[in-house]
Amino acid sequence: MKSNVFVSRLALGIYLLIFFGYLLGPLLIMSLTAFNSNAFPSVSPWACFTFEWFQVLFHDERILNSIKNSVIIGIGTVILSVAMGLAASLVLTQVWAKWRSTYYTIIIAPILIPGVVLGISTVVFWDRLSRILGPASDALFHNGIFLTVLGQSTFIASYAMLVFVARLQRYDPGLTEAALDLGATHTQAFRKILLPFMRPAIASASVLAFLASFENYNTTTFTFGRYPTLTIELAQKVRYGINPSISALAFIIVVLTVFGAIALEAWRRNKLKALAVKEGTAPVGRSILPGFLRGNWAAVVLVLMSFAVITVFWAGQSYSPAQCKQRVLELKQAETQRRIQELQLQRQIKRQADALKGPDIFGPSSQSGTGTAGDNPFGGVFNPGNLEGQSGTGTGPTEQPKPEEEPKAAPKPSPFGGVFDPGNLDDVGGN
Amino acid sequence: MADGVGVDLDNVWIRFGDFVAVREANVHINGGDFFSFLGPSGCGKTTILRAISGFLDPSEGRVLIGGNDMAGIGPNKRPTALIFQNLALFPLMKIWENITFSMEVKGASTAERRKRADELLDMIALEGQGDKLPSELSGGQKQRVAIARALCAEPDVLLLDEPLSALDLKLRQHMRTELREIQQRVGITFIYITHDQGEALTMSDNVAVMRAGIIDQIGTGHDVYDRPATAFVASFVGENNVFRGKIQEIQGNEALMQSNRSGLLRATITPSAVGELKVGDDAMMFIRPEALALANGDSHDKARISAKVLSEEFEGNSYSVYLEGDGGKEMKMSMPNLGQDPEASRGQDLTLSYDVGNAMVMPAGELASE
Amino acid sequence: MKKPLIFSQFFRNNGKMMGGIMMFLVAFWIIVLILLPQLSMLDFSFRFNLPPKELGGPKDVYTLHNYRYLLYGADGKEGTYNTVDLMVFVRTIIAAMAVTIADLILCYPLAYYLGQSKGTGFVRLLVVLLIIPYWINEILRAFALRIIFADSGIVNDVLMTLHLIKEPIDFIRADIALYAGLGYAYILLMLFPMYNVIESLDRNQIEAARDMGASWTRIHRRIVIPHAKPGISSGMTMVFMLSAGALAAPQILGGPSSLWFTQLVYQWFNGSLNWQQGSAYAIVLLVSSIVIVMTFMKIFKVNMGDIGK
Repeated sequence: MKSNVFVSRLALGIYLLIFFGYLLGPLLIMSLTAFNSNAFPSVSPWACFTFEWFQVLFHDERILNSIKNSVIIGIGTVILSVAMGLAASLVLTQVWAKWRSTYYTIIIAPILIPGVVLGISTVVFWDRLSRILGPASDALFHNGIFLTVLGQSTFIASYAMLVFVARLQRYDPGLTEAALDLGATHTQAFRKILLPFMRPAIASASVLAFLASFENYNTTTFTFGRYPTLTIELAQKVRYGINPSISALAFIIVVLTVFGAIALEAWRRNKLKALAVKEGTAPVGRSILPGFLRGNWAAVVLVLMSFAVITVFWAGQSYSPAQCKQRVLELKQAETQRRIQELQLQRQIKRQADALKGPDIFGPSSQSGTGTAGDNPFGGVFNPGNLEGQSGTGTGPTEQPKPEEEPKAAPKPSPFGGVFDPGNLDDVGGN
Repeated sequence: MADGVGVDLDNVWIRFGDFVAVREANVHINGGDFFSFLGPSGCGKTTILRAISGFLDPSEGRVLIGGNDMAGIGPNKRPTALIFQNLALFPLMKIWENITFSMEVKGASTAERRKRADELLDMIALEGQGDKLPSELSGGQKQRVAIARALCAEPDVLLLDEPLSALDLKLRQHMRTELREIQQRVGITFIYITHDQGEALTMSDNVAVMRAGIIDQIGTGHDVYDRPATAFVASFVGENNVFRGKIQEIQGNEALMQSNRSGLLRATITPSAVGELKVGDDAMMFIRPEALALANGDSHDKARISAKVLSEEFEGNSYSVYLEGDGGKEMKMSMPNLGQDPEASRGQDLTLSYDVGNAMVMPAGELASE
Repeated sequence: MKKPLIFSQFFRNNGKMMGGIMMFLVAFWIIVLILLPQLSMLDFSFRFNLPPKELGGPKDVYTLHNYRYLLYGADGKEGTYNTVDLMVFVRTIIAAMAVTIADLILCYPLAYYLGQSKGTGFVRLLVVLLIIPYWINEILRAFALRIIFADSGIVNDVLMTLHLIKEPIDFIRADIALYAGLGYAYILLMLFPMYNVIESLDRNQIEAARDMGASWTRIHRRIVIPHAKPGISSGMTMVFMLSAGALAAPQILGGPSSLWFTQLVYQWFNGSLNWQQGSAYAIVLLVSSIVIVMTFMKIFKVNMGDIGK
């Protein structure tokens, strides 16, 4: 019996480990790659601990611009979808019972409609409308921000509506009637009674709507026009060439998210505790911790995390990976040198063997071709130091190569690619 | 105070789709009256209240307050204040803010509101509790806050929708007295909705008894209790023993009814049925348990019924004797406990007497279901 | 006493101004944002892709051409099917179903565990840990998987270090990364609805059943699963619809030779600039996924009202 319990606990533990490993592992590894100096985001081999990818990120105009677009679109979407969601949920409580399920199906459907369909239909509709209304409406109806806000609000309003419906279930419509009865106008009753009651729901719906807007890809990818959002820009980068500055951005987002989640939890616990104190159920005792932290692991973690982030930033200011990089560079050069020598040795052996076989008409030309290649332009092109140097100077604010071009740049000038085995190439290209 | 504002319902019909919630209601409520609508749940009394307060419009007919037609006037423009069944105190506002909400929407200053709140808190004996939240008060305190909030609006008519139903028995009885006192003090018209006949009878000047959208009877508490207009009123208000039968003879305002099981019974025709009830009609006779007594020597002038005892209960201040009554239904007699032996044992045949003036006969009709 | 939504009553309940604002917002949403765009896309899908000056001209007529293309390919000959696109379509639907079922199996135990062990700090910690990936961008989550499934990624590294494989596996080409990514992207939409309903299940019911000698499988089959049905169906509907309609994960994690149906839509729209053809493909995607969801909801007797709970 006892071993049975142990086995089931073990199974549960392993299952939880796998589940959370699947869920969080990729994010953790992605975050770590932001600090590795390798040009392809990876954790192994670990080259040098570096902050350079953050520098690359902070000087990427396109990313910064897209963040601005995302925020503008996010705010527009929050306003529109929260207003529509609230109105729709209020109408739902009053709609004639016969029509209720039809109505509900219509306003919940956008959640289930694929995002691409929403994006396409929005673009198609407004394009059609602008053709009907003439060129005067063109500028607005083909504006990426306008279309994206509308396209996203179509389904985000449904999410907001669900939040409001849940809250409204606990609302007593008698309160509004009481206010009216006491002489309030409908607007006053709404503002003074219903709105304060809905405030928590409006806050959470707004956060939800903003996050959903910020993250949205499927709809936005059709509607953004000349205003790419952060997600669009990220997708472009990820699709057409990966480099760790994306990891750096991901790391920042992960940290912000963790902060947000923990802050929320800390706030929730604090509120619960306040409630417990009020009811006299909280344990009363003295502690060296200030009240906010007592019995609230989330708050403790929050404070510790803030310290950690400050420390890391401070370290980032003074830390320089130059020395480490130099070492890695030397190691690599030595490695390349070794390989070249090895290769030359092999060729020499082969040449000797060929010579022994007898003269060949095509022999000398081909031999000389590879021979000269093997000697000089070789190291010049493939010397990893070249690349490292570039990304090294890339940390400066002025000239920098487009990050995603780097991996491509390496294989390109290699007419001698055939000389190396593919693994070797990858290694150089990847570093 | 007879100078209060009266309310009139003039041939009011209220329909929801095919369903008729209120049918041809004609009610005149005197200014300054404590008027109750009494009826079982679902009889349409709340609907009438909502029509008076302006949350819905009658499908037909008029609602008049102080003689003015209220058609098209919203609840926030009517001189009424409603106390909701669940009180509907604003949970996020402090008590004083709740009470003076009607002033807030008119733009009164905080100081004015504070002052008025203190006066009203004094009146409802909740001094110094103005800064609490409704959730911090007890049921009876919330009740009083709801009343103060409604009174703060200075309505001409106060409407109360079963406001005591959530309270426990003791508090309910206490609040009845208090409500009546407040009404007499402020002197405005109170319209009260209840399914509890005890509340209606103790507090009201006049009562309207409703059944399935129809007003059966309007009158004083005595009227509806002692001279019910219909079988429904007789069976709904207070306890009553019912006997069914056919009218055999009519003499003035008295009738002789051939009952199904208990022989020939003599009773008074209820005033509203005088001249309507004819010989041969199906009729019902009602007699209250306290109007029955054991027949003895000095009750020659009284009518008699004989029945078999089924059981007997001692209730402290009285005995209840259950007898085999009419139509298989039990008949109940109650006798005050004056220290005597009830002299009733199971299976015994008893002869009971009653005063003809206390037995009411009327056309057969629908009874209130228990 | 439900009052009918006769407009006068609606305005009486809400006031002219508030009622007007509410009506306007709801009408704007339903008509301008939901219905008209869908209808104009439907209309578009039955038209030819014409240059602007020929619009409204004699060639601007309704046609089934765009739908025929999906079935029969460019030459439009019946009998030779457009196998490439049709295979993509079938693969998308089947793979989305497989992803849905995989997510269900993976989430059910956790939803049960979280839902039934209330209140402890450890469980709250797990919930917070769940929320974190939920808030992180879809693209970044796909990117994270791209990193770990790369040739020199950690998965290959670990496998090689353990000498389980000699050469790195191309997870991208084998579509393993894609399926893992799709499952990863929407797994929490499966978990949370189930967690919410299971949390509302009275623990005593399970104990009573156990007391009567029911086995664990029977308890789940007879008590927990019937109770959790709205959550399960809600989660499955969301995961299926979102997987079938996913674009980011296939674009980032999909192999070069295998496409997702949404990528075809994307290509028609943004690559070939043939909006009409793209609309037709989008309509096919929309209608078929709705039909599939409706069919399953009918089979398992689930109401629309359960979705989104």
